[in-house]
Amino acid sequence: MRCQVTVLYFARSAELAGLRSESVSVPQRITSLQLWEEIVKIHPRLAVIRDQVIFAVQQEYVFLGDQLLVLQTGDEVAIIPPISGG
Amino acid sequence: MDESEDVPKDFIKLKSEKLSVDEVSELVISPNCGAVSLFIGTTRNNFEGKKVIHLEYEAYTSMAEMEIKKICRDVRQKWPSVKHIAMHHRLGVVPITEASVIIAVSSPHRTESLEAVTYCINTLKAFVPIWKKEIYEDEYSWKENKECFWANSEK
Repeated sequence: MRCQVTVLYFARSAELAGLRSESVSVPQRITSLQLWEEIVKIHPRLAVIRDQVIFAVQQEYVFLGDQLLVLQTGDEVAIIPPISGG
Repeated sequence: MDESEDVPKDFIKLKSEKLSVDEVSELVISPNCGAVSLFIGTTRNNFEGKKVIHLEYEAYTSMAEMEIKKICRDVRQKWPSVKHIAMHHRLGVVPITEASVIIAVSSPHRTESLEAVTYCINTLKAFVPIWKKEIYEDEYSWKENKECFWANSEK
């Protein structure tokens, strides 16, 4: 089963992807690393930042790895490059 | 003043307009507090020998506000006597020497507000999804806080 999530791109990831948000079809049950790989298939230039980024899924931080996500249509998935606030 | 009106409050704002130290400190003043502690983050004009023209900030705004709310909640758990907390962060272009962040905390005595302000800025730098771009004369650079909670120890 698949669903449509909203992927948000920030900072360097927005420059590499060339956009700030889009709707992407992904499997509902997917590991965070698999989710990254789905997104890189659409925007191969993102591959260079793979070791620096984490996700925020529904505004909760998630590391790229084996964590199983259960996604629903309309969920927000944000690509979070290293932060530099303050 | 009616005591019930002076309940502890969090004042959180992300905005593109110039930040005001007067405005932020006045937000946290309270009649039963003897201390207001303040932190102002300003933009430096140089980095590794390069001249910085200005900074640009962007944020995952809804999540940044939530993460800042969590910081305020943590402050109140660690320092229960803290009264009001204000955290204002600027977004968009910030010219050199202007403030990018102002944090103010009030408490009855100074120790708690001084410690809480330190905790606020350190935790903001580690957890709040805000990004800074330094614009130089010929190039730019996305900065990375060493406090970033998932930063590699080796770069």
